[in-house]
Amino acid sequence: MNMVLHELKSCRKSTIVWAISIALMTIFFLSLYPSFSSSASLVKKILEGYPEPVRKAFGISIDDVTKFLGFYSYMFSYVVLLGAIQAMNYGISAISKEIKLKTADFLITKPVRRDEVLTSKLFASLISLIITDIIYLVTAFITAESVAKESFNIKLFFMISVTLFFVQVIFMSIGILLSTIMRKIKSTISISLGVVFAFYIIGMLQATLNDKAMKYITPFKYFDAGYIIKNSSYDMTFVIISLFVVVVSILLSYVFFLKRDIYAV
Amino acid sequence: MNVIEVNNLTKYYGKSRGIIDVSFDVEEGEIFGFIGPNGAGKSTTIRILLSLIYPTSGSAKIFGKDCINYGPEIKKDIGYLPSEVFYYDNMKVIDLLKYSASFYKKDCSKRIKELSEMMDLDLNKRIDDLSYGNRKKVGILQGLLHEPKLLILDEPTSGLDPLMQQRFFNLLREENKKGVTILFSSHILSEVQKLCNRVAIIKEGRIISLEKISTLRENSYKKVTIEVNSPVKGEYFSIDGVSNLEMKDNTISFLFKGDTNLIVKKIAEISISDVTIEEPSLEEIFMHYYTRG
Repeated sequence: MNMVLHELKSCRKSTIVWAISIALMTIFFLSLYPSFSSSASLVKKILEGYPEPVRKAFGISIDDVTKFLGFYSYMFSYVVLLGAIQAMNYGISAISKEIKLKTADFLITKPVRRDEVLTSKLFASLISLIITDIIYLVTAFITAESVAKESFNIKLFFMISVTLFFVQVIFMSIGILLSTIMRKIKSTISISLGVVFAFYIIGMLQATLNDKAMKYITPFKYFDAGYIIKNSSYDMTFVIISLFVVVVSILLSYVFFLKRDIYAV
Repeated sequence: MNVIEVNNLTKYYGKSRGIIDVSFDVEEGEIFGFIGPNGAGKSTTIRILLSLIYPTSGSAKIFGKDCINYGPEIKKDIGYLPSEVFYYDNMKVIDLLKYSASFYKKDCSKRIKELSEMMDLDLNKRIDDLSYGNRKKVGILQGLLHEPKLLILDEPTSGLDPLMQQRFFNLLREENKKGVTILFSSHILSEVQKLCNRVAIIKEGRIISLEKISTLRENSYKKVTIEVNSPVKGEYFSIDGVSNLEMKDNTISFLFKGDTNLIVKKIAEISISDVTIEEPSLEEIFMHYYTRG
């Protein structure tokens, strides 16, 4: 428990900054919606001017984007992108931070088991993500209520919104796995940006090429807002894949972390 | 009773050597010196004892328990001071010490106060504002605040000024009197000489000697320095018992271990202008361990 509190304290600032950034972006994007919907036909015309592959890559569907949930899910993809970077940062830095700052010696020579150390870090990261996501949800909902003239399906709105957390957990798990495998990580942000954008670009390619197989590769496509709106449910195949990725990554992290040598300097 | 038992410990980092077949015991209540040049394997051994790294083969026991399987349990009674201290920079000293204390499930606040006064450390400073020496003090406090039964100190004195070193040594002696066993690693022999009962010498990953400090300092070694009037051949003093033979112009110096009559006779046979025969410092005794081979 003392370790969880210590971790939470140490990433308090970063959680606040991420939450505020994501919330501000949401407010900004959603406040564009009224002007978007009032000139729907014009917007549609402009969008038709873009080549189809580009529209697909950015996840713009002309029919949906002028409806609130369509517009929201378009914007939401960027929220998920930011959220994924945050989660990946937490995952990677959980262990690599201790190694890089050489504080691992301090922690590991205390009377705690290594799995307790990892579990504490896992919990602290999860709590930080949950706090971020609650702030996001509240901000998004209040803004949505005030900008959407028509009524929208609140259940669907939340079903889409909480996928932010799901995708974050996937990226956090991958991040933790990376940090336990790699001997020393010099820069957390460069690796997390690299990995997250790689997956994001695969996602854009997948949308453009409409390649079914590629969907399995990138977590950004596991919780497709279009599918949720159409079916009022999540695609179970991808729910199972997500669980699988998370469980395997975390289990492997424990295996690697328990066995690895903590080198001096 | 042995507090530390190290049995044939070997560690390779990939292909490069860490330590090879290291064995020694540390008895309860003793101050045990662990001496060797940089890169000899002192830290490797210590890090295995603390299960920071895992041995390639061999095993080690602390308080009679395997140090890997019972790591968390035995660490309750171990205080560790790393050779280079790194702590969470954005914390205040007192917060770090409280965090450290929170792992031990006992009230350490009184001890923290005592120690900080003794070591003259400001508890309200932020750690990143501290000088190297003051960080070292944080390390010392952090290692001692839970009143451990075994102290493992990895080159603890670097960065401390002579006055602080003195206080620190007194502190260690006091702890030792209370029954605390101390494993003290260092490459500075004079501090080991001051403090330790026994010493293990490690070189290139192997223990090359394990002796009592008193045995080492017994009069068996003589340091002989001779000023000769006319040059003598190098082989003249190359007899059994002579080591570290050095000749510079007319000055010859060496360490001698053996029958004193023999060497006095040898000296009497040549023409000399001056001679000193003295007890060598530990440094000089060790130099021949260091350089040999």
